[in-house]
Amino acid sequence: MSLLAETVTVLLNGLQQGAIYVLVAIGLSIILGTLKFVNFAHGALYLIGTYAGLLITLKITPTGGKLADWGYTTLGLGWGFLPALLIVPILVFVVGLAMERFVARPFYDRPDTDQILLTFGLAIVVQEVFKILFGGQSYNFARPGWASGQVGLPIVGTFPEWRLYIIGITATVVVLVYGLIEYTDFGLVVRAGTRDAEMVELLGIKLSRPYLMVFGVGAALAGVAGVVGGPLYAVNPNIGTEVLVPSFLVVVIGGVGSISGAVLGGILIGETLAVMVAIAPQWSQVGIYVLAAIVLLARPQGLLGAEEVAP
Amino acid sequence: MSDEPTETPDATDETGSVVERTQRELPSWERIRESELFVVAATTLAVAIFPWLFARAPVVSGVLQGYQDLATLILIWGIFAMGFNLLLGYTGLLSFGHAAFWGGAAYAAGVFSAQVSSSPILIILAGTSFAALSAWILGFISLRRGGIYFAILTLAFGQMAFYMALSPLAWITGGENGFTGVELGKLFGVFQLRYPVPGLDWLVGTWKYVLVGGVAVLCVAAANRILHSPYGMVFRAIRENDQRAEFVGLNVWRYKLMAFIISGTFAGVAGSLFTIYSAYVPLSSFYWTTSGEVVIMAVLGGVGSLFGPILGAAIYLYVENIVSGVQQLTLPFTGPNEYVTLVQEPVVLMDGFGAYWHLILGLVFVAVVVLFPRGIWGLLMDFGSAVRKLGGGR
Amino acid sequence: MALLETHNLTKSFGGLVAVDDVNLEIEEGESISVIGPNGAGKSTLINLVTRMLDATEGDIEFDGDSILKHEPHEVVQKGVSRSFQTASIFPELTVEENAQIAALAAEHGSFRFNFLRHRNNYGEVDRLARRTLDAVGLLGQRDVTAEDLPYGDKRRLELGIALASEPSLLLMDEPTAGMSPEETADTVELIEEVKEQLDLTILLVEHDMEVVFNVSDRIVVLNRGAVIAEGPPEEVQGNPEVQEAYLGGMDA
Repeated sequence: MSLLAETVTVLLNGLQQGAIYVLVAIGLSIILGTLKFVNFAHGALYLIGTYAGLLITLKITPTGGKLADWGYTTLGLGWGFLPALLIVPILVFVVGLAMERFVARPFYDRPDTDQILLTFGLAIVVQEVFKILFGGQSYNFARPGWASGQVGLPIVGTFPEWRLYIIGITATVVVLVYGLIEYTDFGLVVRAGTRDAEMVELLGIKLSRPYLMVFGVGAALAGVAGVVGGPLYAVNPNIGTEVLVPSFLVVVIGGVGSISGAVLGGILIGETLAVMVAIAPQWSQVGIYVLAAIVLLARPQGLLGAEEVAP
Repeated sequence: MSDEPTETPDATDETGSVVERTQRELPSWERIRESELFVVAATTLAVAIFPWLFARAPVVSGVLQGYQDLATLILIWGIFAMGFNLLLGYTGLLSFGHAAFWGGAAYAAGVFSAQVSSSPILIILAGTSFAALSAWILGFISLRRGGIYFAILTLAFGQMAFYMALSPLAWITGGENGFTGVELGKLFGVFQLRYPVPGLDWLVGTWKYVLVGGVAVLCVAAANRILHSPYGMVFRAIRENDQRAEFVGLNVWRYKLMAFIISGTFAGVAGSLFTIYSAYVPLSSFYWTTSGEVVIMAVLGGVGSLFGPILGAAIYLYVENIVSGVQQLTLPFTGPNEYVTLVQEPVVLMDGFGAYWHLILGLVFVAVVVLFPRGIWGLLMDFGSAVRKLGGGR
Repeated sequence: MALLETHNLTKSFGGLVAVDDVNLEIEEGESISVIGPNGAGKSTLINLVTRMLDATEGDIEFDGDSILKHEPHEVVQKGVSRSFQTASIFPELTVEENAQIAALAAEHGSFRFNFLRHRNNYGEVDRLARRTLDAVGLLGQRDVTAEDLPYGDKRRLELGIALASEPSLLLMDEPTAGMSPEETADTVELIEEVKEQLDLTILLVEHDMEVVFNVSDRIVVLNRGAVIAEGPPEEVQGNPEVQEAYLGGMDA
């Protein structure tokens, strides 16, 4: 393979890797920006999305956990991937609404630390429930047949089709959410609320409904990430927390509350990972943290984050 | 009214006329409890009888099913959680990156033991120094952004330490296999750590426990002193209102950094002891779940007090190591293996109970965060004072 | 030489100019009040002087040195203390501890490596704290948890915290906001008292005209960020431009 072809392949891989982080990070970032709420349970939403996607797409045999003990030999609907891609975001959206209403909202007035502790505890509980039901081992989330092949591309030759789908689906979803935030009344209220919630409330606009929606949309994005990301890795109860940490880095790098920041940050992290894997695999994971540290020292508010109003 | 609390005499001169003195008087029990000597003496006593009570005492140890090594482990994690709480409970900063200091110290201690000296005391010093230095660097970066970012940044840079140990530094750390070359010499060149203490082995067991217990007492004394130094007050001021603290002229940033370094140092002491305890350093000591565990311990036990987190460590480790092995949850006093058997046939409440241990801890943790911010220690204190009131005391 | 001077001090938030080219001079021992309609930039001015906000343009000199590059705690250490509009105290600590924290900063400077030295060894901190509490009349309540104080006493404590920093210049941001008439009268008396006792220079931002005329030697009137009048109380009172600004402010 020529150097050019190799480079483009690496960059495409980075884009695909970044896409998952972008989807998770947008939710984290807009929830953090508008609601000032740090959601350590955001990874749990990804986890729910992946398992739900797996169970809608395929029929599986539980190989561990209580469900197997209780005698379930087959689980899942086996409807295929596209139904999962439609149903899961709606499902996780509803989970997100419930989370805002019953978990986040009672804690808006509590110190940040308590919010983090609460969502951290919740993340553990969700993870443990999945572990107990399905066992700690990994399940294989097979890619749908129509997308499991290789596709011919100019320059690079062949490229796994699924990875292109991920990039495409992510791009579509991001454009939709961007449009929602930038060009609708809902988005206007959300953006104004990000800047000065008190002022918006003074103007007589109740923020509780937009806040609920923000949480729901953020959750749904994590759900999408779970479905499209599921077939890339083995599915086990730890994937939620594993995706959470890099996604936090994306938020830190891109800047809080900014969708374009999350996209930029996600692509940067994805590309850093892919390039490092290609040239110095030992350092690949460390690289993204170094990147975050550099951004933080040079520009504490993130690449596209707004200047802080008050400390 | 001769037992006025410790006050500087000249202050009394200035103010004695204004304040009704009776208002200042604390009940004598509380005053004793506050004194430094009492705290250290009580800790020493508790540390000394703990392994006996837990692992060897009649009835009690049978009910608890404790064992010597677990007692040692509880003290080690207790030190970790207590130091962590200086940051979380007193300064109000939540770190998810303390695995970096626990793990960093554990590896540094291990490498030091293999390369430089196998003296346990020097191993502890080496590991602790490494942790303090790491805390300074990591704190410097993580405190760049205040508030909610702190938890995120400490989590992120803690994970960076994990990945460093996993592959780029695998030639030192042993990568996934952990560090296996720990060398342990004699304590003060005289006592083999694994040997029983002559004449006192029924009480404290081995020299290893004596070492860990001694360090634990020192740590409690140090932490107690810090809380009664100007730092204790400044930390609480920062937790309550860091803007105001800055605007009375305190360098809040540096005090926060100091809180971080101090808590990282305690984590380092604990991590070094862990290397001595297990003669092995697993890679997982760097993983963020280790940070998560110490968070749970501190919160569960109670962030508002010095001893709460130690209790939290005990509860967590007890559930992890003993409750998780319980196959069937039965009603007390039913079944053949109880100390007092009322019914021969065990009344089974739940099968495969042990598997739920982590879920149960998670649920209890959430309950504590929502309902009892002062943790289990706080509940016990409230209970204690309620009982004393009922008993007619003050 | 004046104790505090601002030169062409300007602060803008995006397009909005909150403080516009302000030149102030406060002599040692003087009491100055800054008045003006809502949104005139009074609080922003205090926030600039105490370095809570970065100035967009201009300079601030305290005691002859520019403090433009100082951290807030450094400004306090130089002798500029402030009280906040809301009672900004340490709610879960006792009244005495609230004062001790400020006294600690005054006696020890902004930072010290003394984490292994017992607090009983710091008599001078306790003395300063008690003296200050005595001055604001809270010594009797020193063991009360601060959040349990009635509102008026919380404001008093807030003032006490500011005083325990041993300032030479005290900035007060609406010290009587939210107070009953009696509490307001008490506070005015208190300010007069501590000013005499502690030899303070005072910059007061206030809405309540009665307070302003009682306390100040000189009044500065801000409107839309700019100084529109300056002078002794009687003079400013009669200034048509000032009346215009206030009435205009009320219309809007």
